[in-house]
Amino acid sequence: MTTVIVVDDHPMWRDGVARDLAEAGYQVIAAVGEAAQAVRLGTSLKPEVMIVDLQLADGSGVEVIRGVLATHPQARILVLSASAEQQDVLEAVKAGALGYLVKSAGRDEFLEAVRRTAQGDAVFTAGLAGLVLGEYRRLAAAPATGSDAPRLTDRETEVLRLVAKGLSYKQIAERLVLSHRTVQNHVQNTLGKLQLHNRVELVRYAIEQGLDDSGRVE
Amino acid sequence: MGLVGLEVVLWRAVAVYRFVALGYAAVLMVNNYHSYTRPWLGWTVLAVMAVWSIVATYTYGRADLRGWPLLIADLLVTMGCLIASHWVVTEASLRRGSATLPMVWVAAVVAAWSFSGGRWRGVIAALFISGADLWLRGSVTMATVNATVLLLLTGFILGYVVSLALDAEEQLQRATKLEAATKERERLARGIHDSVLQVLAIISKRGAELGGEAAELGRLAGEQEVTLRALVSVAPPPTASGQADLRERLRPFASAQVQIASPATVVPLPAEVADELAAAVNSALDNVRVHGGPQTRAWVLLEDEGDSVTVTIRDNGPGFPNGRLAQAAQEGRLGVAQSIVGRLRDIGGSASVTSHDGTEVELRVPR
Repeated sequence: MTTVIVVDDHPMWRDGVARDLAEAGYQVIAAVGEAAQAVRLGTSLKPEVMIVDLQLADGSGVEVIRGVLATHPQARILVLSASAEQQDVLEAVKAGALGYLVKSAGRDEFLEAVRRTAQGDAVFTAGLAGLVLGEYRRLAAAPATGSDAPRLTDRETEVLRLVAKGLSYKQIAERLVLSHRTVQNHVQNTLGKLQLHNRVELVRYAIEQGLDDSGRVE
Repeated sequence: MGLVGLEVVLWRAVAVYRFVALGYAAVLMVNNYHSYTRPWLGWTVLAVMAVWSIVATYTYGRADLRGWPLLIADLLVTMGCLIASHWVVTEASLRRGSATLPMVWVAAVVAAWSFSGGRWRGVIAALFISGADLWLRGSVTMATVNATVLLLLTGFILGYVVSLALDAEEQLQRATKLEAATKERERLARGIHDSVLQVLAIISKRGAELGGEAAELGRLAGEQEVTLRALVSVAPPPTASGQADLRERLRPFASAQVQIASPATVVPLPAEVADELAAAVNSALDNVRVHGGPQTRAWVLLEDEGDSVTVTIRDNGPGFPNGRLAQAAQEGRLGVAQSIVGRLRDIGGSASVTSHDGTEVELRVPR
């Protein structure tokens, strides 16, 4: 049974999500509302999947994602947020979340997203694809990172644009004459490169700040 | 406002000037009264000046009294004191350019008129005072011309600078107010995000699961959630340079049927271009509503490519078979699209319409 922790500071919502997950056969091992508590439980209970809201009473869901993945990198995290704060969503994904779903998504869509997250597949909505496309272009244009910025291949850009225009993977596969799995891989790669770049940047920052001397880089 | 306004400071400055000038006039009086034809009248005029300085300081200090009656009274008292010099100071010494009784005290009324109504009022007061001075001296000499020019300049420049400063103060106040309003909006938005929006989302989700009438209620709650979110999302005003963030212009189009994908960072465009693009997106979405069914969904993708900006509107409606654009045009289904093409051409951009898994309208504007 897949173990899940639900992090959301709205009790009604938290319980609803936990119930839906339990009914669908997941083992909800904790449902919490505070960022600090979420990091503690996430690192000690080591769930397979975490469902994280970005707006928490005592901090951001992005901190939860960073905190948990630092000691439990196998956690597969799905961001479920009502917030349309795009920068937060992007930060969450760069920090290592596998996908993002708005809270207004239907139950079936939600459960499908959790299923894919549990498998380690990226969950891309059109909105997230738009954010990721924009981030690649921003990195390429930024003078500081211009030369070693992560780049998308033409095919990846093509796939990502189609996702951002609301096409399903099936439709994209048909249109580009690819297998469903290949489309999924392209999408996954765009996310992977962005997260890798983010980690490299963090390490570089840590070295510049002399934090590597302590022997631990987070 | 806890701060002392600029106006209060200005009127205080005029009051200080009045008393300093009064002191100067008193010193002159003490030095010269033995040479005056009617010293008692000189002392009387000085007393009037002293009393009026006090009255004027009090009355100009109150905004409700700072009207025409006070300004005219000030002018009359000042001119009276000036003209009284005729019966005190000898005519010969006046003609030589000797000091009048009030001396530089007369400039206070010019400053008062400038501060109350700008440079032209200051100039008018200066003209009255100069006229009286000229009559007093009986002839035009270098000294009287100098005094007149200085007084006119004082009125003009003071009025000009003060109106500039008052404008600046007003702008600052407006900016401060706007900032406060934005902060309050952000606070409200956070509150609504954390409470109302969440509950609406729950209702919409549970409603859809329950089906039937509850589904209809859920759908309505979902629509309200989207509307409310668009409402409380803080839209910054266009920057001073006339640039607008296209993302903010497109955000209101988001609904249960329309999903917007955009970068996380601002997409700056000249405000007119952003408006035209938003209008084009609006008519494209209208077209989707008219020709697609209620189940038709649409996606708006905004991309900033540096040297150009692209907005794509795709729907999952029936579309039209490729190669049959002409027929679609005849049926009126392309009419709106063609008007969009024209609109984009007007702002130096281009638009294209394709059909593939629904209809896709691509708008592109160079930077």
